[in-house]
Amino acid sequence: MVFLGGQVLPGNVGRAILGPFADQRAVDTLNHTLGVDRPLLTQYATWVWNFVQGDMGTSYIFRSPVAPFVIDALGNSIKLAAVAFVLVVPIGILSGVVAALNLNRPLDRIISLGGLSVAVLPEFVTGIILVLIFGVWLRWLPISAAWPRDSGFFTQLYYLILPSLPLFLVLFGYIARMARSGMIEALDSDYTRTAVLKGLPWRTVIWRHVLRNALLPTITVIATQTGYLIGGLVVIETLFRYQGIGSLIVTAARGKDFPMLESGTLTIGIVYAVATLSVDFLYSVLNPRIRLGSDQ
Amino acid sequence: MNKNYRILDLIRRNRSPHENHLIDGLVDGRVSRRDFIRHGSLLGVSLPLLGRITAVAGFGGLPSLARAQGTPGATIRVACIAPTATIDPVTTSDFTGFVLLQQAGEYLCVGGPDLVLQPVLAESWKSNDLGTVWTFKLRKGVKFHSGGEMKADDVAASIDRLADPASSSNALSVFKGILQKGATRKVDDYTVEFHLDTPNGNFPYMLSSDNYNAIILPASYKGDYEKSFDGTGPFKLEKYTPKVGASFVRNENYWGLMALPERTEFTFFNDEQSQILALQGGQVDMMNAVSPLAGIVLLNDPNFNIISAKTSAHNQFHMRCDSDAFKDPRVRRAIALCLDRDKLVAGLHKGRASLGNDSPFAPIYPSTDASVPQRKQDIAQAKQLMEAAGAGKGFKVTLTTERYIDIPEYAQLIQNWVKEIGIDLDLNLLDQGRYYGDAVFGKSNWLDSVMGITDYAHRGVPNVLLAAPLKSDGTWNAAHFKNRDYDALVSSYIAALDLEAQKASAGKIQNLLLEETPVIFGYFSDLLVPTAKGVTGVQPTAMGQLFLDKASKA
Repeated sequence: MVFLGGQVLPGNVGRAILGPFADQRAVDTLNHTLGVDRPLLTQYATWVWNFVQGDMGTSYIFRSPVAPFVIDALGNSIKLAAVAFVLVVPIGILSGVVAALNLNRPLDRIISLGGLSVAVLPEFVTGIILVLIFGVWLRWLPISAAWPRDSGFFTQLYYLILPSLPLFLVLFGYIARMARSGMIEALDSDYTRTAVLKGLPWRTVIWRHVLRNALLPTITVIATQTGYLIGGLVVIETLFRYQGIGSLIVTAARGKDFPMLESGTLTIGIVYAVATLSVDFLYSVLNPRIRLGSDQ
Repeated sequence: MNKNYRILDLIRRNRSPHENHLIDGLVDGRVSRRDFIRHGSLLGVSLPLLGRITAVAGFGGLPSLARAQGTPGATIRVACIAPTATIDPVTTSDFTGFVLLQQAGEYLCVGGPDLVLQPVLAESWKSNDLGTVWTFKLRKGVKFHSGGEMKADDVAASIDRLADPASSSNALSVFKGILQKGATRKVDDYTVEFHLDTPNGNFPYMLSSDNYNAIILPASYKGDYEKSFDGTGPFKLEKYTPKVGASFVRNENYWGLMALPERTEFTFFNDEQSQILALQGGQVDMMNAVSPLAGIVLLNDPNFNIISAKTSAHNQFHMRCDSDAFKDPRVRRAIALCLDRDKLVAGLHKGRASLGNDSPFAPIYPSTDASVPQRKQDIAQAKQLMEAAGAGKGFKVTLTTERYIDIPEYAQLIQNWVKEIGIDLDLNLLDQGRYYGDAVFGKSNWLDSVMGITDYAHRGVPNVLLAAPLKSDGTWNAAHFKNRDYDALVSSYIAALDLEAQKASAGKIQNLLLEETPVIFGYFSDLLVPTAKGVTGVQPTAMGQLFLDKASKA
């Protein structure tokens, strides 16, 4: 699909590299050198054959192997996703729990309404506002996520704070509301009432009985966001000049760099598949009722 | 000031007929001092000699090039748009690409301020009387970063590579019909001859920074430029990372004055806005360029300086002369008369542009005939022309163009202006890939649309702009303009070695194009390079190259 979609786009690789004003003879020569003047089926079959043997091919526009680009970009995307996760998961769950425990009180309304309000703002809006506040006016945080060469862990972390904040804002409301509704349901359940009536301390009821059941849907939601956080951050990566897999695919699509585009897309597909599978495993660990071979 | 004819006569003795004619023009007042220096540099007369001639002719010498030297040792950080493809002197076609090429590489000569050609790897050049053979004398003792000395073999191989149709050369369109593969010949180790297909009075520009691919590489160059950035320039590659950036360090073995900065860093961004934010946030010291609309926040901020240079960069607004709507030149002239060019310059470009007069002859070219009247907005005359052409009731037509810098805003302004003569413009804004398509007739919105706007970069001489978009067989002739008189005039302009002959042809071309108006040239944009306060010594060329060897930070 990606390959065919790429062919529908106007222009050709040689023209994209040499520009509209280059001589047609030069464009033809470059297309021949790159092999993009071969029949489409031959190009596709060659790429698939090489890919299944572990060779992602050679980038048309960078004229070097695709694999290092994809691996670097994937690594960067995972780093950004990890920072966003570390920020949003505990704070989102905690806020949801606090909101549920303070149901219909002002604190609940602030968390619910605030979370919902920021969640509906697109990342590029919150991103630009955050850049202006923390990067341009206060100058507390670097506005680019590209850290200097040979930076250590903490420097990289420092550079990733600002780009992870818009992601935090997008996901916070979602996670907090899921945690809140799960908590409300669990608090209202028979097993919670039983636990309270048999005299367990409130803290134990919450930790042992409520939270474990309340957070199952939240964990599912969090895990399903993994694919988005790793492969779907084109806007954030562009805004913060971050070399993630999203921006790699956009560059490849613009330049009709098929080997890069196809490899990047497949990698994102694999990330989504692995993330979904991980959720299933995690769910079975946390919820004994759906374990294979269980009685229920 | 008095003229010293005795010394002038002494100088004339060793000069060619073309050089002497130029000197006559200066002495008689037919050629201005500025045009004399620009054209004299093109003919290969050295800048010190040009200064001596202007002094003894009573016009004063050249201003001293000595300048206050900044503090050495700085790291200059530059924001630029990520290159669109691999960096290779043969194929590179984007702005960042040629800015990076020119950090480590050098040209035979460079188009400096006011388009004066300054020698770099060539010490001097001259042509035969016909302008068909140009001879360049090379500088001695210049070393490549990889160690070898730069000699005629390297120059011949570098230029031959660009003129070779089998090499994917981006410069092939520059040399087409002018210089063939094999026509660059070594005379001795330090002399190279270029044998042209036809006479060409502006040929040195094609070997200068104006032809950004023409950096001189070792004859043994086989590709993989990004690994070495081998060249002769004042900076050597430290590291290049595709999609991320590049850094360079001072070349301690440079043949000329040592560069002031210790290092330079180029950081790639995906869009202009992110670059502006990085400059405002102090993460970079400068941008390689900014457009007036996006950069307005910098233009009005005292924390930043804007280095400005006049250029011939412009947007061509074409109308297909073979279409029903625009086959009558009166309709095309009527549309051109609707544009308020003063407002375009003042509003769209915040005063950072020059007026266009519907020909490629920008005010910066010395050959432009300034006596040709400037076209101005005149709605009453436009309406009369529409009536006379039988189009008084107006019509509806689609303007197809690209989303690029200020073009969408330019198109909207045109849409509003032509409403006054009853023309209903439907705007079809496309991304650049879709607009240019395959860039050949029949497969390109650019070349096939009835009406369109296309961006053109600066050129140091108008030759390419006169030929490819306007000659009957022009490969970029989106207006489908076919006029034998025009073709003949352009051929005579290109062949002319003499400034006054060029000016005479230019005047005729300008008047013909005003009459026919296949393409509207509304304005010529300035190049704007923003720097943080305290950054000095940055020298951009009108083409967009960035010389940082004299840059420093306070």
